[in-house]
Amino acid sequence: MVLNVPYTHRGLKGVREAAEVCLKCGVCCAVPEYGCPAHYGPSYNPRYTYVYDCLGHEEPHTNPSIWQCVSCHKCEEMCPYEVSPVHFIEAMKERAMEAGVSPESIIGELQQVVDTGYAFPLTANAERQRQELGLEPLKATEELRRIAEATGLLGLLGRTRK
Amino acid sequence: MRYSFFRGCFIPVRLPHVEKVAATVLPELGVDLSPVEGFTCCPEPIGFTVNHPLTGLVVSARNIALAEEQGRDIITLCNGCTYTLKQANETLKADSELRGRVNEVLAETGHLFRGTLEVRHFAQVLMDQVGLQRVRCKVEKPLSGLRVASHTGCHILSPHEVMGFDDPQAPVKLDAMMEVLGATPLDYAYKTQCCGWTLSNYGDRNAASRLLGDKLTAMHAAGADSVSVICPQCLAQLDTGQMLAARALQLGFRLPALFYLQYLALAMGYSLEDAGYDKHRVRDPGFEEKLRRILA
Repeated sequence: MVLNVPYTHRGLKGVREAAEVCLKCGVCCAVPEYGCPAHYGPSYNPRYTYVYDCLGHEEPHTNPSIWQCVSCHKCEEMCPYEVSPVHFIEAMKERAMEAGVSPESIIGELQQVVDTGYAFPLTANAERQRQELGLEPLKATEELRRIAEATGLLGLLGRTRK
Repeated sequence: MRYSFFRGCFIPVRLPHVEKVAATVLPELGVDLSPVEGFTCCPEPIGFTVNHPLTGLVVSARNIALAEEQGRDIITLCNGCTYTLKQANETLKADSELRGRVNEVLAETGHLFRGTLEVRHFAQVLMDQVGLQRVRCKVEKPLSGLRVASHTGCHILSPHEVMGFDDPQAPVKLDAMMEVLGATPLDYAYKTQCCGWTLSNYGDRNAASRLLGDKLTAMHAAGADSVSVICPQCLAQLDTGQMLAARALQLGFRLPALFYLQYLALAMGYSLEDAGYDKHRVRDPGFEEKLRRILA
């Protein structure tokens, strides 16, 4: 199989070359006991695997299937041709972010971490439970905003959320 | 042994009883946990770092830098935190150009990544620094006869060349850690399969339930009384996720999932209540009764 979209990415050497080697053999998704967990998703089967769906899409970064990837690296460990689909899919998620087409859940999490320092909301329930267990209260920090501003993430989030 | 205690955010916010049990049992094994002011999310690998790698790397570098300022290696309670921080640490130690770029941004917060410490999951600390012999010496109530299905989880195993914890396709360490507590470890199909937490939260909830249903059915078929995990997301999925999957798939059994440190607490003489079992969604009278007999 040849990728539909030529792909190059800064800092990820060999990703495009590796992805183009995929022979659609389906080994990465063939065995439910230890293969790709995303294979449990909507409509994948050995003739049209999850990984093929991601690698063969015309505009891979807009393919909703990329968000099924959990970065578990099982495809990478199993692939007889060292294609490493996980690196390709992760690079596509990064490209989706740059293009402003990431899902709302991802944008929300990035914003939450940047704003508070925590990926999960500091709820009153959490505080109550901590208090009952004799654990000290949690403190939010805004120091990450300065980092996100310098890296351009804050601007990217602002544009995407509009 | 004194470590910078990296609690992460899932445990302090969603599973504070795991933080409590860690702070109770680890010091008894000579693992002292030093709080570090200002630690943030590691950040979460799939929701954060993958999507904006440079920011992810700088946030990780900041966390590591805070520990460096205390001069102590990091201990974590989470596969995800370990995956993020260890990869960042190794990458930044090896790549001086990238380190320079990251430190330039990090200077905005007044910190500097030097690359002087190690990041370790508590299971790595127990295996390599404490040693199972010393763990065995602390066992007052061996969990004899308790049949436990271990689930090591994905992100402490892979990528193996960075994580270096155990064989990703045939992990044995968590079984050894359970065995030292007196429990009987089990082999079962789907042992290395993902818990499905990430799939459930970012991908497809129904797919995650089907995956978890297959995994739990295999554990049950192997005769498991309960499940052992070393990652808070795995715990949430095998507990709350199991409740949802059992409802959707009409599973006819319940398999309580406990964090390894909860089993350790039980073996050290603490009660189920002390270990925070009452905070779990999947509890089973058969398991509780068996455990009461074992601990009696």
